[in-house]
Amino acid sequence: MDKLYDAIFKGMAPLAKTAVLEALDNDKSPQDIIDESMIPAMEAIGQEFEAGNVFVPNLLLSARAMKSALEILKPLMMAGLTTTLGTVVIGTVKGDLHDIGKNLVASMLEGRGFKVINLGTDVSKERFIEAAKENNADIICLSALLTTTMDYMKEIVDAVRADGLDIKIMVGGAPLTQDFATSIGADGYSSNANEAVVVAKKLLS
Amino acid sequence: MIERAFQISPEELPEKEVWFAMGYRDSVPDQRIRDMVRDIRNELVPKATPRYIYQVVEAERLSSRQVRFAGKTFNPEGIICSYLKGMTHALLFIGTAGWEYEKAKEELKESEDIVADFIADSIGTVLAEMTVSRIEQDYDGPGTISMPYSPGYCNWDIREQHLLFSLFPEKPCGVILSESSLMMPEKSVSGFFALGETLQRQPYHCQICKNNKCYKRRNA
Repeated sequence: MDKLYDAIFKGMAPLAKTAVLEALDNDKSPQDIIDESMIPAMEAIGQEFEAGNVFVPNLLLSARAMKSALEILKPLMMAGLTTTLGTVVIGTVKGDLHDIGKNLVASMLEGRGFKVINLGTDVSKERFIEAAKENNADIICLSALLTTTMDYMKEIVDAVRADGLDIKIMVGGAPLTQDFATSIGADGYSSNANEAVVVAKKLLS
Repeated sequence: MIERAFQISPEELPEKEVWFAMGYRDSVPDQRIRDMVRDIRNELVPKATPRYIYQVVEAERLSSRQVRFAGKTFNPEGIICSYLKGMTHALLFIGTAGWEYEKAKEELKESEDIVADFIADSIGTVLAEMTVSRIEQDYDGPGTISMPYSPGYCNWDIREQHLLFSLFPEKPCGVILSESSLMMPEKSVSGFFALGETLQRQPYHCQICKNNKCYKRRNA
C-alpha cells in the first residue's frame, strides 16, 4: 500500500494506477485503498503545500494521480457502499470567464474525497441553485477573479437563502477576502485550493 | 495609432518567467515540472501570435487622483497618480496573447490535464506581459517613460477599461471587452505609460507601494 501512497504523494499517475491494481489483487477493498493510502497521501501533500515545501503544480500532479487511481476503483464500488465527504457544486460566477483557479479547487476537492459538480464559468444564480437541488449538494463554491463580478456572489448567496436551501456556501478568488465573504453572508472563504478543502471539511463536520 | 503582431520562438519565452507566473517566485521547480513547462511552451508558443496597439496622446495630471488623457478624465487614484508628476503625454496601450494562443490552449484543455492547463495559463500570462515590454521597447520618443499602469491594479477601478477602450478602434487587436470589464482573450492587458521630460521613472510599483494587503502584490 505504501507504493500507492508514494505514487499519489509524488504525483505519479501511471504508478498510482499500477499500485491500485496491485492492492486490488491483494484483496484490499476499494474503500480501504482510498481511506488507507490515497486520502492520507493527498492530506500529506496538502500539508507540504501549506508549509511552503511544494507548489501548486505538485498539488495538481497529486490530484491527477488520485483521479486516475479513482477511475479504476469507481466501477468497483457499488452504490451506497462507499461514501464521499460530500457533494460540491462549483462554478465561476456570471460575467466572469476565469476558470483556472476554480478548476484547481475542484481538483483538490475531488482528490480529497468530495463529489464535485463543475458548472464551468459565467454561471447564473439560477443555475447554481438548480444544480445544487439536482445533485442534493452540501456546498456551493463560488469563484470570481474580477472586482466587477464578485458583487454577484452576494446575489447568489441571497437567492440561495431565499430559496430555503439547507446548504453551505464557500467563496474564493484573488480579489476576495474573509471580510468580504463574511459581509455577503458566505459560510466559508479560502485563499487557495488546499485551504478550500480544509474549509469544506470543516463546514460539513 | 500603431498596431503590431509578432511571433517568437519558444526559446524567446524565458522559462523562468513561466515559473514565476506559476507561483515559484525565487524557487526552481523540480525536473519533471521543468520538462512539462518546456514541452508545453514548445507546443504553444509557435502557434501564438501576440498583438498590441498603442497611441501617444496629450495627458495631464489633474489632481492627486485624476488624470486627463486625450480630453477624457480618468481616475487612477492616489497610488498611480503619485508617480505621474511631470507627465505631459501618455502612451495608451492594449496587448494580448491573442486568439491563436487561446485556441491552442483550448485544444490542450481537451486532454483534461489540469497540470498542463495550469502551465498553459501561465504561459499566456507571460505572452501578454511580453506585449507590454515590446511596446516599451518600441517607443523611442523624447523624455522619460514610466512603468506601465493598468485599470484593476493599484486601486484603479477596472471599469475604467471601458473609457480606455473608447479611445481605440472597436475590438482592438481582436480584444473584446465585456460588460463586466473582462477582456477576451483572457490573457490581455491594457493601460498606459506616462511620458514627460521631467517625469521621474519610479521603480516597479509593488516595490514602493505600502499596501501590503493588495492581492495583486508581486514581490518582484
